Amino acid sequence: MNKFRTALAATLLGATAMAAPAQADVKIGLLGGVSGPIAAMAPAMIDSARLAVQQVNDNGGILDGEQLVAVIGDSACNPQNGTDAATKAVNIENVIGIVGPHCSGAVLAATNSVTIPAGVTVITPSGTSPEISGLNDNDTVFRTVPSDDFQGRALARTLLLRGTAKVAVAYLNNDYGKGLAEAFRSEFEGNGGEIAGFAAHEGEKASYRSNLAELASGGADTLVIFDYGDGSGLTMLRQALENGFFTNFVGGDGMKSDAPIKELGAENLTTFLSSAPVGEKSDSLEMFSKAFADVGGDPSAIFATTSYDAAFMLALAIEKAGGDKAKVSAALREISNGEGEPIRAGEWAKAKELIAAGTAIDYKGAAGDHNFDDKGDVPGTYALFKVSGDGFEVVSEIQ
Amino acid sequence: MEWIGLANYAVFMAIFICIYALLSLGLNIQWGFTGLFNAGIAGFFAVGAYTSAILTSPAVEGRIGGFDLPVPVGWIGAMLAAALIAWPIGKICLRFRSDYLAIATIGVAEIIRLVIKSEDWLTNSARGITDIPRPFGDLPYVYSQLAYLAIVAGVLLVAYLMVERQIAAPWGRMMRAIRDNEDAARAMGKDVPFRRLEAFIFGSALMGLGGALFAHFNRTITPEAIDPMIATFLVWIMLILGGSGNNRGAILGVAVVWIIWSMSEIVTDQLPHEYAVKAKYMRVFLIGLMLQLVLRFRPEGLLPEPQGTREEVSEKSK
Repeated sequence: MNKFRTALAATLLGATAMAAPAQADVKIGLLGGVSGPIAAMAPAMIDSARLAVQQVNDNGGILDGEQLVAVIGDSACNPQNGTDAATKAVNIENVIGIVGPHCSGAVLAATNSVTIPAGVTVITPSGTSPEISGLNDNDTVFRTVPSDDFQGRALARTLLLRGTAKVAVAYLNNDYGKGLAEAFRSEFEGNGGEIAGFAAHEGEKASYRSNLAELASGGADTLVIFDYGDGSGLTMLRQALENGFFTNFVGGDGMKSDAPIKELGAENLTTFLSSAPVGEKSDSLEMFSKAFADVGGDPSAIFATTSYDAAFMLALAIEKAGGDKAKVSAALREISNGEGEPIRAGEWAKAKELIAAGTAIDYKGAAGDHNFDDKGDVPGTYALFKVSGDGFEVVSEIQ
Repeated sequence: MEWIGLANYAVFMAIFICIYALLSLGLNIQWGFTGLFNAGIAGFFAVGAYTSAILTSPAVEGRIGGFDLPVPVGWIGAMLAAALIAWPIGKICLRFRSDYLAIATIGVAEIIRLVIKSEDWLTNSARGITDIPRPFGDLPYVYSQLAYLAIVAGVLLVAYLMVERQIAAPWGRMMRAIRDNEDAARAMGKDVPFRRLEAFIFGSALMGLGGALFAHFNRTITPEAIDPMIATFLVWIMLILGGSGNNRGAILGVAVVWIIWSMSEIVTDQLPHEYAVKAKYMRVFLIGLMLQLVLRFRPEGLLPEPQGTREEVSEKSK
């Protein structure tokens, strides 16, 4: 009996000893669409955010040398799982901030019902719906990816500058495709362009030939596709090429995927252009790309840079706020407002010293400068890419 | 500190279970008691959610409404709208036998989903409706969650008691008679098509109410929430597992499935990182496996439908 008690006491002591450092860990939540419609994109996004966490821990840790721990939750790209994952992260794991969720619908539900009431700062790397700007969020919801409005408009201006004045637009019928397409249309028509076809399509269908024929009947030879290049966008591109409906193709950032090159061959995609957010050809982007490639990641994977930046900035903000949950959102604005010593991707040790010394810092991320506007949005920089070899190559910057 | 977090999580799950329990009760009326194979739950869920959202959210340019009405009006409106949509659907589709009805209702739900996803003027299409008021939403986090739980639990209790009463009444026996032997019921002079329509509308109204409660809980509704996987088939799994034909079973099934679905993530997170992410896919598999096991070893569900014997019935009738 005595032996048993001693053993029990020892176990308990051991457990508390084990638990003690775990208590001191600083936790952030990484909520992503691990299962569900964007399951193919989520792993790269989560891995790049984990790279940021890894760099923090390798370079002195956070606050008093504590470990930054990333808790991964599956928001599955729908509100039901999004709120569930956010509730677990906030209440069970006691996270200080959250990177994610990935899809706009999940972001809207999780922020409205969980994180805004609980006062937890959220940075989404891929929620692009314009509705997120308008959230009544006490300044706790941010994003490192520009609202679809920005990209659609930028792409429209660029196409007009390049002399393309008549296009047909096909978009995936979700908040991403629709947001881009609407913004594109208003800017394109507003500046004298002609939209000869404008139609939504549902994802995951076997054939889009009738949609394409309908779009081509308007007489445009350029098709603008706002869809995902590893999903229905690929099918659409393939069928448009096979049947010769269009000669030129332009895609949004979702189309800048390796899947079309692998499936269709680079030689067939000489007339394919795609816009995508880029860092301003910065050292920061190169530093991220190298670090991410070193851990086996693909730096050009969609939303990898924004995910990385979101996680790194959250860590900087936590450091700046001294680990105080309530101050994180204010600190997030301070560490990246365009003023102060520039900090590039991965320069954690330097940032930590400067924060300790009370010097202002300004994070220049892999995906851009991330100077948040008053709604927590970033303007973003885009480039137009063409297919070259086995990958994409920048044709020109677009604004 | 830790227990507050756990309590918060428990409250969240309880809210979710109450909302899905309404869907499950609605389906139980249709399938469990009347034998109507409705595979379009998501459609009625969506109609309810969007109706209440449009009625209660503040006015916005570019779409119908919002009318800024009180929340209870939105909820009643949600039930009415779901019932109104169910009426013509039922009128047309209920003539089909079980499997054809399933196909027809899947089609109807898809039509509703596509309309919601495409019509800007009605539902703001793919972007969804935000700024939906939540009762007691201005309270601090913990209290507002508790207040909402009290509301949904109250609504569920009322719905449960009403359904129980209705099923215990002669109406319930008649429905079961129609389910088990339609011809015999007809021979007894029962108006079978009308009764089936009644059950269909009644169940759909409850699903609409569930949708409304869901929209107000999240303060937003987007088309992603009405995915058939999460709004139709999940409810079916819950009902079959809990025991169709038994209202308590319907609610228990919701609780069991949701708790396993949600808590399994906490368990898998204890695994090393490489496996923890992969294990999240396993959760989907787990739900499927659970259904297979229940269907194989306990097809009547966890809480089967009570089988009234002749003695009991005659006892009661005395």
